Amino acid sequence: MRERNEMNNRRSFLTHCGAGFGALALNAMLQHEAAAANDGVVQVLHHPAKAKRVVQLFMGGAASHIDLWDHKPMLEKHHGQASDFGEKVETFQDGLGPWMKSPFKFSPHGESGKMLSEVVEPMGEHTDDLAFIHNMVGKSGVHSQATYLQATGFQLPGFPGMGSWVSYGLGSMNDNLPTFVVLPDHRGFASNGPKNWGSAFLPASAQGTAIFPQRDNPIEDLSAQASFVTKAGDSAGLSLLKRMNRRYQEERKGDSRLEARIRSYELAAAMQLSAPEALDISGESQATMKMYGLDRIGATYPAEINPAEEAEYFGRKCLIARRLLERGVRFVQIWSGNDNGFPRRNWDSHENIQRDHGPLARGMAVGTAALLKDLKQRGMLEDTIVLWTTEFGRMPSSQGGTGRDHNPYVFTNWLCGGGIKGGVTHGASDQWGYKPLDRSSPTQVYDIHATILHQLGIDHKRLTVRHNGIDRRITDVHGHVLTNILT
Amino acid sequence: MMIRKVILVAVLVSCGLHITGTSTRAEDLFRDRIAPLLERRCVGCHNDRQREGEYSLQSAQAALDDGYILPDDPAGSHLLDLITPENGKTAMPKNNGSLSVEEVELIRDWIRGGAKWPADVRLEVPKVGDFDWWSYKPLARPLAPVMNDSWAKSAIDDFVLAKLNEKGLTPSPPADRRTLIRRVTYDLIGLPPTPEEVATFVSDTDPNAYLKLVERLLKSERYGEHWARHWLDVAKYADSCGYDKDKLRPNAWPYRDYVIRSLNEDKPYSRFVQEQIAGDILFPDTPDGIVGLGFIAAGPWDFIGHVEVSEAKIDGKVARNLDRDDMVSGAFNTFCSLTVQCARCHNHKFDPVTQEHYYGLQSVFAAVDRANRRFDVDPKTAKRRRELTGRLNALTAAKAKRDSIYLGLASEPSSDSNEARRDKIQSYSDQITEVESELHALPPQASVYAAATSFPPEGNFQPTGGKPRDVFVLSRGEVTLPGTLAIPGVLPLSGVLPWQFSPELGEGQRRAKLAEWFVDHDNPLVWRSIVNRIWQYHFGEGIVATPNDLGRMGALPTHPELLDWLAVEFRDGDQSMKELHRMIVASNTYQQSSADNAMNSAIDSGNQFLWRASRRRLSAEELRDSILIVSGAMNLEMGGPGYYLFALEKTEHSPHFEYHKFDPSDKASHRRSIYRFIARSQPNPYMTTLDCADSSQSTPRRNETLTSLQALALLNNKFNLVMAEKFASRLESENADLQSQVRQAMALVTQRPATETEVRELLVYAETHGVANLCRLLFNLSEFLFVD
Repeated sequence: MRERNEMNNRRSFLTHCGAGFGALALNAMLQHEAAAANDGVVQVLHHPAKAKRVVQLFMGGAASHIDLWDHKPMLEKHHGQASDFGEKVETFQDGLGPWMKSPFKFSPHGESGKMLSEVVEPMGEHTDDLAFIHNMVGKSGVHSQATYLQATGFQLPGFPGMGSWVSYGLGSMNDNLPTFVVLPDHRGFASNGPKNWGSAFLPASAQGTAIFPQRDNPIEDLSAQASFVTKAGDSAGLSLLKRMNRRYQEERKGDSRLEARIRSYELAAAMQLSAPEALDISGESQATMKMYGLDRIGATYPAEINPAEEAEYFGRKCLIARRLLERGVRFVQIWSGNDNGFPRRNWDSHENIQRDHGPLARGMAVGTAALLKDLKQRGMLEDTIVLWTTEFGRMPSSQGGTGRDHNPYVFTNWLCGGGIKGGVTHGASDQWGYKPLDRSSPTQVYDIHATILHQLGIDHKRLTVRHNGIDRRITDVHGHVLTNILT
Repeated sequence: MMIRKVILVAVLVSCGLHITGTSTRAEDLFRDRIAPLLERRCVGCHNDRQREGEYSLQSAQAALDDGYILPDDPAGSHLLDLITPENGKTAMPKNNGSLSVEEVELIRDWIRGGAKWPADVRLEVPKVGDFDWWSYKPLARPLAPVMNDSWAKSAIDDFVLAKLNEKGLTPSPPADRRTLIRRVTYDLIGLPPTPEEVATFVSDTDPNAYLKLVERLLKSERYGEHWARHWLDVAKYADSCGYDKDKLRPNAWPYRDYVIRSLNEDKPYSRFVQEQIAGDILFPDTPDGIVGLGFIAAGPWDFIGHVEVSEAKIDGKVARNLDRDDMVSGAFNTFCSLTVQCARCHNHKFDPVTQEHYYGLQSVFAAVDRANRRFDVDPKTAKRRRELTGRLNALTAAKAKRDSIYLGLASEPSSDSNEARRDKIQSYSDQITEVESELHALPPQASVYAAATSFPPEGNFQPTGGKPRDVFVLSRGEVTLPGTLAIPGVLPLSGVLPWQFSPELGEGQRRAKLAEWFVDHDNPLVWRSIVNRIWQYHFGEGIVATPNDLGRMGALPTHPELLDWLAVEFRDGDQSMKELHRMIVASNTYQQSSADNAMNSAIDSGNQFLWRASRRRLSAEELRDSILIVSGAMNLEMGGPGYYLFALEKTEHSPHFEYHKFDPSDKASHRRSIYRFIARSQPNPYMTTLDCADSSQSTPRRNETLTSLQALALLNNKFNLVMAEKFASRLESENADLQSQVRQAMALVTQRPATETEVRELLVYAETHGVANLCRLLFNLSEFLFVD
């Protein structure tokens, strides 16, 4: 601490490491650098890892726990009666109408007999693989802050997303695709947009790469869109560029950045070849397409929100996620829900749970169930952690008769795969789904992040970066590994 | 550390065995081991003032009376249950992890031994009160070492050479003239020199050729544009609010232009600082006094937390607490390089900043919000408006008084006749009309997004009218746990003005006092902070490598005497940034070659001690601007609203910034990058890939990465493709044949003549694949991207 400190990262190495290393060692480092676009800073795992990959499913706008995963018979019993929380309650839009039961029916699934809502019924076959956490609490009922908190561990802008931390820590497992891929809802970004997956003060190589499979350039600048560009011109141009950059580098010995730059063009060329292949789902079998809800591509949909359309959109992202994971992408983040505008294509159901949550949940469940099944049958679920999360929950009281207001006081997450115990529940919400049953020991996002890092072989307290005078880590000064949901 | 741990365990074991001995021994155990542990891990929250969980551990009475600790009975002491892990989780401490097994055992043994707590021992809330740190020491002008070496031609060189000698390093030979003009031009104005400028300089036989060049660059208005970018990185400037619904700030740009203007005018630094904190109070009637306040408002702002949520709700309070936090940390990180924000949740763990200090700083900003603020561009108009407004208020008040007298509402009776009454009232009305019409006739006011106390309300977002909000010292930073009312003030840095203000001090005066404190002659931080920043932008790394943190978590200075010498020169001179640039770039230290040297490198591979110049990659803005310049597309028009690099859609709810729908051949965007509209929530992907600063965090120094996505951006981004075609047309229109086109292209991109091999290879390529593809390739040269 008292010595001159440097951000302990790859950039700093590349910038400052010169003749301090023997030529051979340096060469080996650069070879390594070449093999993987960027290595992680955690050179030796803190403990043996149970998982290598992560999928984060993020429901933008705040998905209701009590209408999907967290069954509340008390609401059925007291439906329509004036809500009484036994204390003063602050909500975002004062949505404290009568108790409202879920408009969806619940039924038991799996050996655990877990009660699930009919709209997520496709997830029924996986309940024995899921670990539910029903006592998640947030810090704010404001979308932006809440989204930041769940995505980055801080309720302010300017902090790296979980995928960035994981990429920074563990580096890449491939040499032709990004390490951290984001599949946004193509209808618009959720609160905070790309800030949720930015690298902030970590190196830019740790940022999430957004992929829009339907665009001309699914990855920003993947190919050149100009009439004067030709394949032959590119190939001759790249080899001439390499010659000129090599000459420049040879005249400036001892600067490893110049070598890294030459390599970066080779890696870029590899990505240009492999990314379109990874995103091309035309070779997938009929059965697979059907499983992901993609058996009616090209169909026209009504203007109103509907389950088939939602399933196609979410299912496509899930299928692409599987293809990316297979090809060595380490972290995939999938978003459901746009910017909380109208008509609702997001989970912010202040007006009507049945109308909006119904189709969104069904679409999400079809894609998610298919992804879990697919990963499982390929033997990848064992070392891939899947996290389902959202901004916060929704109130058990009604808003405007059919909607629900924000509930930052309790909500649900679930985890699956990657050494997570299935068919269990950690923590419970109270009888209404208003706050945790045991208010003194709720689960927070720090615990989720600590647990995921733990499964990846990282002690969350040891993955730190000094920034503006503070040793930052994703869990701030908090975080406990949820040992009782681990196998 | 290891040794201490071993001793601790040894003490613990021996105490465990012999604890039943004399009470003195048990009391010593408490003093030496238990008390520091409790202070460090418990008393921060469990003290007499905060009493978290209704429990204080500050005194024996408070700690032992509550039944958490039962002397001689560890099993019955609930305190131990709370700190002992269950399922890998402990209830206490809430933050920073559980106690170690040894620590828990230590407490268990202490309880078993009777929980002896000497009556005179009162535990203290941990805080750092220690000003014994280099950056808090008063500034004094060190003597430059006498080097008697022809290489050292200035005090800067003397300091640097002394350190090089000490480390066994030797300075590098000077850079050649072409390298030098390229380096100093990029450093001072952020653009490449033209081939003509290079040729002139290279052949200039005047011994003052280099100094003439530096003067030319410092006079250029491009200088302010380039250096404003550095300042705005630190200030977190953007043209939208960030957070959810990322609302546009169409009036943010006057602040950006103010920074450019101030730097070009070489405004004395103390004036520059004061304008940005309290210009409205300290320099009334000046436009810069208002526009400078854009600094306070530059950072992110949560629209929903302020407009849609009431200040009475928890979420509304959180939003306002975090908003003030942004103002406080912005001001202190920028001007003092001190991380005061650490004290929002607890006393600063490393620097002498307590929660009371921190919330005192928040209460300096307790009356201001971020909003559009109107101002007169012409100081004469501002003065006239102030006079007229004053008269109007006086007349209105006088008329109201007269009205109430005539209506018999006032105690003072009137003997005026009805006619006299009418005349008097009429006379007031006439004068009021006259003043109003003159006010009306004044030139219209402009608006800037700045710190404001008066603005049109929007939903729950209400102006304070200048009445400071109550700010409380918040336990753990939670708005639900308010403690005492904070007293506005600054920090008690030794030797500087009194630090606490009167609680009655008005809002503007609070800011004015803070501004004066910042630029106080004896402020030890502010002068070191600014010279270190300027140094860093010239050498790639500051004398202190952490420019936003000169505190204990920051780096130590490599050349502490040089830093102090520069700080005193700067403070006691004209506080002129341009003069500081002159001193730096005129030094031999700055003019060294960047070439490697194996002997030096073996000792100092990172070049901390400046035995050579540090090669650097262009910043995102420098690169984009250079592409525009060499392509001949650059429009150097200055100032005004930011141009878009995206298609803007759906502004009624949350604006969509659709970068992929933007056509970069749009001429409005062919201006310097400092003038682009910065969308906070959706940063420009091209610029971000090139390590542009994130406008949500203060960025004192950019990262420099090299990634494959960067290679893709430079090869394929639509901007590069459009510019490649423009560059090609320029070459074709200015040259008769392909070979001259190739030669000109290389001269424009690299500022040197092409070698014959290069001409041959490039010519073959251009003949086969066209000049546009050639230009596209040249934008990817390492030689274009790096400055030696």
